[in-house]
Amino acid sequence: MGEKSTPLLAVLQLLKKYNLKGTEEILRKEANLGDTDFDGLDLQEVEIASILSAHHTESDPFTYEHAYDTLKKFVENSMDICKYELSTLLYPVFVHMYLSLILYDHHEHASKYLEKFGAEQEEFYQDDLKQLSNVKSKEKIKGNEIAEIYSTNKFEVQLSRDASSQLKRFLQEQKSSPVIINIINNHIQIDVHDGPGRTQAQVRSTAGGLLGEASRNENRTKVYYGLLKEPFIEVLATTPPEDEEEVEETPDKPKKKKAKKDHFLMKKPKVDPNAPPTDRIPLPELKETDKMEKGKALREASKRVQLGPETLPSICFYTLLNSGHTALCADICDDSTLMAVGFSNSIVKVWTLTTVRLRGMKSVDKLQDIDREAGDVLVRMMEEKDRDTCRTLFGHSGPVYKVGFDPFKNLLLSCSEDATVRLWSLQCWTCLVVYRGHMWPVWDVKWSPHGHYFVSSGHDRTARLWATEHHQPLRIFAGHLSDVDCVQFHPNSNYVATGSSDRTVRLWDCLTGAQVRTMTGHKRTIFTLSFSVCGRWLASGGGGGEIIIWDISTGAPTAALPLFHNAPITTLAFSRDGALLSSGSLDCTIKLWDFVAISDDSANDENNSNTSPTKEEKFLLRSFATKNSPLKNLHFTRRNLLLAVGSYDGSS
Amino acid sequence: MGDQESGYGSSLTLDSMKVIAESVGIANLGEDAAKELADDVTFRLKVIVQDAMKFMNHSKRQKLSITDIDHSLKSKNIEAQYGFLQPDSLPFRFASGGGRELHFIEEKEIDLSEVLSAPPPKIPLDISLRAHWLSVDGVQPTVPENPPPLSKESQKLESVDPITKLSKPANKDAAGKPVCGKAARLKASESVHVKQLATHELSVEQQLYYKEITEACVGSDEGRRAEALQSLACDPGLHEMLPRMCTFISEGVKVNVVQNNLALLIYLMRMVKALLDNQSLYLEKYLHELIPAVSTCIVSRQLCMRPEMDNHWALRDFAARLMAQICKTFNTSTNNLQTRVTRLFSRALQCPSQTNNESGPSMVTTMKESEKTPLASLYGAVQGLAELGPEVVKVFILPRVRWLGERIEGALSGIGGADRLAAGNLKHQLLKVLAPVVRQIRQPPDQPEDYKREYGYLGPSLQQMVSKLRTSPSTPGGGGAVAVVTCTPPLVPSASLPAPAAGPIAAPQHSTLTKTVDSMGTRNVISSSNPSPTPPTPPPQKFVIVSQQKAPQAQPASGTGHIVHSSQPTIVRSQNVQSVVVTSGPAGNQQPQKVVVVGMPPQQQAPVTCGVSQAPVSVVAKPVFARASSAPQPPPELDDLSHLA
Repeated sequence: MGEKSTPLLAVLQLLKKYNLKGTEEILRKEANLGDTDFDGLDLQEVEIASILSAHHTESDPFTYEHAYDTLKKFVENSMDICKYELSTLLYPVFVHMYLSLILYDHHEHASKYLEKFGAEQEEFYQDDLKQLSNVKSKEKIKGNEIAEIYSTNKFEVQLSRDASSQLKRFLQEQKSSPVIINIINNHIQIDVHDGPGRTQAQVRSTAGGLLGEASRNENRTKVYYGLLKEPFIEVLATTPPEDEEEVEETPDKPKKKKAKKDHFLMKKPKVDPNAPPTDRIPLPELKETDKMEKGKALREASKRVQLGPETLPSICFYTLLNSGHTALCADICDDSTLMAVGFSNSIVKVWTLTTVRLRGMKSVDKLQDIDREAGDVLVRMMEEKDRDTCRTLFGHSGPVYKVGFDPFKNLLLSCSEDATVRLWSLQCWTCLVVYRGHMWPVWDVKWSPHGHYFVSSGHDRTARLWATEHHQPLRIFAGHLSDVDCVQFHPNSNYVATGSSDRTVRLWDCLTGAQVRTMTGHKRTIFTLSFSVCGRWLASGGGGGEIIIWDISTGAPTAALPLFHNAPITTLAFSRDGALLSSGSLDCTIKLWDFVAISDDSANDENNSNTSPTKEEKFLLRSFATKNSPLKNLHFTRRNLLLAVGSYDGSS
Repeated sequence: MGDQESGYGSSLTLDSMKVIAESVGIANLGEDAAKELADDVTFRLKVIVQDAMKFMNHSKRQKLSITDIDHSLKSKNIEAQYGFLQPDSLPFRFASGGGRELHFIEEKEIDLSEVLSAPPPKIPLDISLRAHWLSVDGVQPTVPENPPPLSKESQKLESVDPITKLSKPANKDAAGKPVCGKAARLKASESVHVKQLATHELSVEQQLYYKEITEACVGSDEGRRAEALQSLACDPGLHEMLPRMCTFISEGVKVNVVQNNLALLIYLMRMVKALLDNQSLYLEKYLHELIPAVSTCIVSRQLCMRPEMDNHWALRDFAARLMAQICKTFNTSTNNLQTRVTRLFSRALQCPSQTNNESGPSMVTTMKESEKTPLASLYGAVQGLAELGPEVVKVFILPRVRWLGERIEGALSGIGGADRLAAGNLKHQLLKVLAPVVRQIRQPPDQPEDYKREYGYLGPSLQQMVSKLRTSPSTPGGGGAVAVVTCTPPLVPSASLPAPAAGPIAAPQHSTLTKTVDSMGTRNVISSSNPSPTPPTPPPQKFVIVSQQKAPQAQPASGTGHIVHSSQPTIVRSQNVQSVVVTSGPAGNQQPQKVVVVGMPPQQQAPVTCGVSQAPVSVVAKPVFARASSAPQPPPELDDLSHLA
């Protein structure tokens, strides 16, 4: 296809779109175009628009440089109050100018242009620009992830009223060279907000998304971030502590005695004004055994240590020896008795962390002999003799990127490079279900805190919500522009948060499947997410070691924790009482953050300015280095002991 | 391709395209085609690598591996590249020539039969889980599983640039002491903050540890000493105690050199060795204390009570090895450590400007300053230089061999027994050190006359050694001159085979320790191995009892000669220890005495002597735990030297 004919073809396509048959035929005749040529062309609509509107500037690549310079000067000379907001325009304009230069085959100019202005762009865009610089001809726009995203989506820019009126005035002055006007009209979504222009820090805190900031409308929906009312569970508050070890396996413990409960336990079932209705999404009925497990959890919780800056937790570190780089992920079950590790050689290993060994179920013919009505049927169906301290699960055919125990430690989920999610039974130690649906590697899988549901995310840019008994996803959350690297269930199971390589964190409603929050501000890929215990805050850890705390109620960043980690964050965990946040990173350190201070600070902060992240060194309480062991997982036990998992990496 | 050097993406060159095309049999690839290909291939490679990065990130690594590329290819529905699995990074080789530069992977030819016949590789160890406390209530315990509280790098930085410590904010990640809790509040409430370069206070535990360790290191219980040295060599988190440890060593050497207490010097040197071996410590800041101490142990005029009996040579050897290790570890272009150490030793070897041929042994005392250097010091200097490597030997020892030979000749023909022994040792050592070097620099026809002419007195013996070396199929670099730094050969101070009529007093000998020898009135007591004999004499004394039970076996390291290394238990009974002594000279008029009894086995044909010499008390620079001398006599400790074997 000759380059001259691109605009002609675009016109043809446009004519066809509006069904102007007569004109189309005439044009075909005049341009001597056959039908065959036409089929090869399927330009994006936006591209057509840009081709047509910018047609007359096509021949002059020099206008681009000039236009960009003018825009830059305008931003520099504008009032301080809107300077920083306006400066967010520069990057999208720059990118689209580059793309249109490529589109019109001015390759030399394009690379010169990139050379000249590329280095001026924000640091967090440099990776994108490097990828963009691979695009050296218009055919490659299709193959390039970034270029495709930019040409098919609009870049979000938020401007105050002042700034936008200034911009309008500027654009009117620029009538002579319509390059910028075209780009702003076609590729940039300007979101005007009332109120004063934002400061540099404010702008920076939300900048960084692949397509700019989240628009205000996106975050308008009300999110029920409160916790669900816990089902009433009879708890024996006076269970003697010695019992604990032996009751592990005996279901028929006395339940009659209804002892007085702690006031701590009584307070809990309080109605949260922000909580969703309990039946908003159907939750599974608690089974008898699950209730026991819950009761045990509550009892344990009553013995919990209150953490704070004065009382730091003890950390028990589990080192995986001889694992090298093969161990990829780890999870510890809620009651801290089991640990699962996923390996790059497709296996999953489960270790017991207590003296109770891992037992399998009896064989089928033996199971038939058991009286199903017996009270201790659950004990009887297990094999009598103790088994190993470690069991291996085989089934995946690629590296296992995440494992997760269900809240009642009967089941285990794992996701892998082979694009499947597998559900394993921890009683018969076999794979129960293979969930197929993702197209490419599955990066993350998480259980709902109430069991039954789980959510997975992967390279196919979607996150999917599943129920264990359905082999197909209940919801597909699509909208991310790049890999969805991590997911997390909200404590009330009604929402799912996802973090992605497009540097946004999004919150999805499980009921409607809609996206209810888009949170921008990360400058690198997001690798881990964690909801606070109260459900209002979301912590996200990124590839550069940055941690951002988000307020779910508004979708705004509450605090960007100071950058003390210098390698990707791999895991985040809130203490059970919500007072501390712990972060683990590939730089072989665990850091403890004072979350009470962080959230208080933001509450005070809201009075002065709406969204200013506070970078205070005082948030960091302690940092613990491990011996060359990058962190895989952090887990607070019910009594607030911190368990950490890492694999010793002797070589480096 | 004008933008190959640009910051935004490099691309493959046309040349590499052509080379690749040639390698698959396409001879004449056109310029345009090559450019088109280069562009496209670059683009595709970058897309693959970009996806591979995602796999790397999710494998929680920061290093891209071949499997990541494979997975990336797989996700693009391209078959993975087989046969590139490498345990380490890809060994790219570089070659240039004919105006072309080329990176390539070296492909070795593998002999299949060799592979088949080779024993199967070891099965990798199974993955196992190990738990330890990373933190207890916010404090990181210093156990081997945890990293040292202050990394070696930061210790290093601190020694180079101490200001960094001041500028650092509150030490939130110094794992030693928590900044939280009460201590933090106390600190916060103080109105004046004095930032100190080093933390001077030790915790109670650290004080206890220091006390225990130093006590054990110089104490009498060999088992405890081994444990203490092990702890010094392995435990992380000692850096806070390091200044004290080094002062302890330095002071201890000062005092014990004056007291000629060989055993304690050896213990102190072993402490130095342990500290040097500790991976988590960086000693540079303390070298000013350690190096004088170590060099004292190498070249000191006298290190033991009776130079003619005790094996202080071993201590000199050991300390010389330590010195070489220090030089090797800490030498930088700024501190010129090795140069300075070399200068120190070579000054001891400085021969008088004009060698006087008539300088006989009897004239030693009348000679110039340098001529007075005792033979033992010369030995130490030679040993110290020899450990620094053959080059040093060549430059600093070889030119002085003629003069040294004269000294030796004089001493050997002289009358002083100690001198003769020292001269013998020095000669032996010189020959051992020089022979490999001379072998390297001289061409085969080894004529004794040439050697005599060139090297003087030592010439003929040297010639014998060299020709022996040439004939023996030894390893090319073999020879004593190569400094062996890391190994810890046995250091054996013990009875030496004495020259005739060595000691002033010869006492009856005993082959076993269980006998008590009484001699010379109240001064000499030879205690039995009975753990608690009551010392008969009230004044505090120190007894060194050395016994030898087996026939001495010549140590391969030292070869034959006059030194006999034994591996027999040597017992030093130190019954009194004065509290920390600062003065190094003999103090007080009521001097305690030291008794040294050496027992030799009957198999030895040489007359065995038991030397008793008068000496000031042996003073051990011990910390506060030392008992007061006025206290009731505690059971004496038996100090076994057999560990040195």
